[in-house]
Amino acid sequence: MESALSVEHVSVSLGGEWILHDISFEVRRGEMVSIIGPNGAGKSTLMKVLLGVLQPSRGRITVHLPPAAKNRSRSIGYVPQSRQMDVDTSLRAWDFVSFGLPHTLRPWLNRKERSRVREALELTRCEELANQAISRLSGGQRQRLYLAQALVRNPDLLLLDEPTSNLDPGGQEMVVELVNQIRQERGTTVLLVTHDMHIAAKYSDRILYLTRGRYAIGRVEDIVRPDVLTTLYGAPMTGIHEETHTTAVPSRTSSMPYLEV
Amino acid sequence: MFQYDFMQHAFLAGTAVAIMCGIIGVYVIARGLAFITHTFSHVGFAGAAFAVFMSWNPLAGMLLFTTTAAVSIGGLGAKVFRKDIPISVVLSIVLGLGLLFLSLTKGQSNAMMALLFGSIVGIDASQVYEMFGLAVGILVVLILGYRMLTFDSFDPVGAESAGLPTRFISIAFLLLLSISVAEALQIVGALLVFTLMTTPAAAAFSLTKSVSRMLLFSAVFAVIGVWSGLTLSFYTNAPVSFYIAAVEAVLYFACRGWQVWREKMLPSVKPEHVSVSTEM
Repeated sequence: MESALSVEHVSVSLGGEWILHDISFEVRRGEMVSIIGPNGAGKSTLMKVLLGVLQPSRGRITVHLPPAAKNRSRSIGYVPQSRQMDVDTSLRAWDFVSFGLPHTLRPWLNRKERSRVREALELTRCEELANQAISRLSGGQRQRLYLAQALVRNPDLLLLDEPTSNLDPGGQEMVVELVNQIRQERGTTVLLVTHDMHIAAKYSDRILYLTRGRYAIGRVEDIVRPDVLTTLYGAPMTGIHEETHTTAVPSRTSSMPYLEV
Repeated sequence: MFQYDFMQHAFLAGTAVAIMCGIIGVYVIARGLAFITHTFSHVGFAGAAFAVFMSWNPLAGMLLFTTTAAVSIGGLGAKVFRKDIPISVVLSIVLGLGLLFLSLTKGQSNAMMALLFGSIVGIDASQVYEMFGLAVGILVVLILGYRMLTFDSFDPVGAESAGLPTRFISIAFLLLLSISVAEALQIVGALLVFTLMTTPAAAAFSLTKSVSRMLLFSAVFAVIGVWSGLTLSFYTNAPVSFYIAAVEAVLYFACRGWQVWREKMLPSVKPEHVSVSTEM
């Protein structure tokens, strides 16, 4: 399958500390890769580097644009981890989504742009929210709007930085299910940062497991294994697979109780 | 009233400045820059006092001081200039400078009073052209940069992620704001620049959720304030600035009241009834 993104020997140093060290991987077009790992592992830093807002200290990133794509920034949609918005601002959802359109010197939206905003709202099931103030929406509805803003420029690559972090389990499942549907319908390549191993296992083709200084990429059953996790964390770890849940936990040690499952 | 040249000039200049302030005020509120606007008005006052001391055109002094402050403050970055403490230090320095130039300037007390309280009815034809030119220039820049400025003002994280030149937008907006403050200062004075820059926009935020309508309502409210202020002042002889501030305040409280009433009238979402059985 055609490559959508190549990351070659990328290292990032911030404040004299290596946040990412010699990371290489490739993402195929239409693939969904979840990036998981503990806090401080460099997941959001990797997102910023892929987005181009942070330059890697070493290595190279290539976004393979399809022939129709105009430029890199228009081909990437991004949903950041947190939004610095005044909760009292009564901004309507339609305006918020239209912000994501490519910028021109023309202040008004033409017919094509209006239809793209409508399409993004429909795709994320937000049509009925178009004239609602963002301040009155629930966390799940806002998250769908953030997704709509990222989709309005019809990106080939979608970067989602913990899009479900403030949602209840039902809301998390709904947002990722929606992302998965959009990916299947449009062939969009998706990189999803999440803490939820269950979501990563259920929806992703592969997972990129990052820990401080180490990483592994592969199918979930290949990564969530005692030998791989122990290498990643540098301490005895094991994976727990249940029907509805997959997680990495410390292995039995003399000081730590271990729950058999 | 319109048989007098000074009233014609006052209405023309006042309308241009009101439209400009009303529109730029929406972005002042969205970007949380009300305190910086207040600071710029005092920077403008110090600049004008300096210009009077040097026997220059006061507008030139105001523009020199406010644009220098905009570039310096903008260069520090949004994380610094959105904090109150560094800005209040700048505010106290420029106020001190303004007072120094005021004390060094002799026999110009009328000019200085006009800078503090405004002198819209003392504007001549050449000043009207000057104000129209500046207001049109600022509005053209705002129209061309509308999409980027709106995105960065209402959703700064999203704008940065989308690759917008957010630092450049910040400095450019502060420059536009500083020029607008220098212009508005001649109408309402340093003490009441706040009135035209924030109150109409705050009222507009209470009325609508659409950015384009906020801009329209804010400009209309600013124009209503200036026109009513000029008319009431003409017939009562009280200061124009007082009437402008009073009319804008009435409009703001009326809009806020309407917003509160409308929100009370909105149907509340009833929680679904869930019964949980505890019987085994």
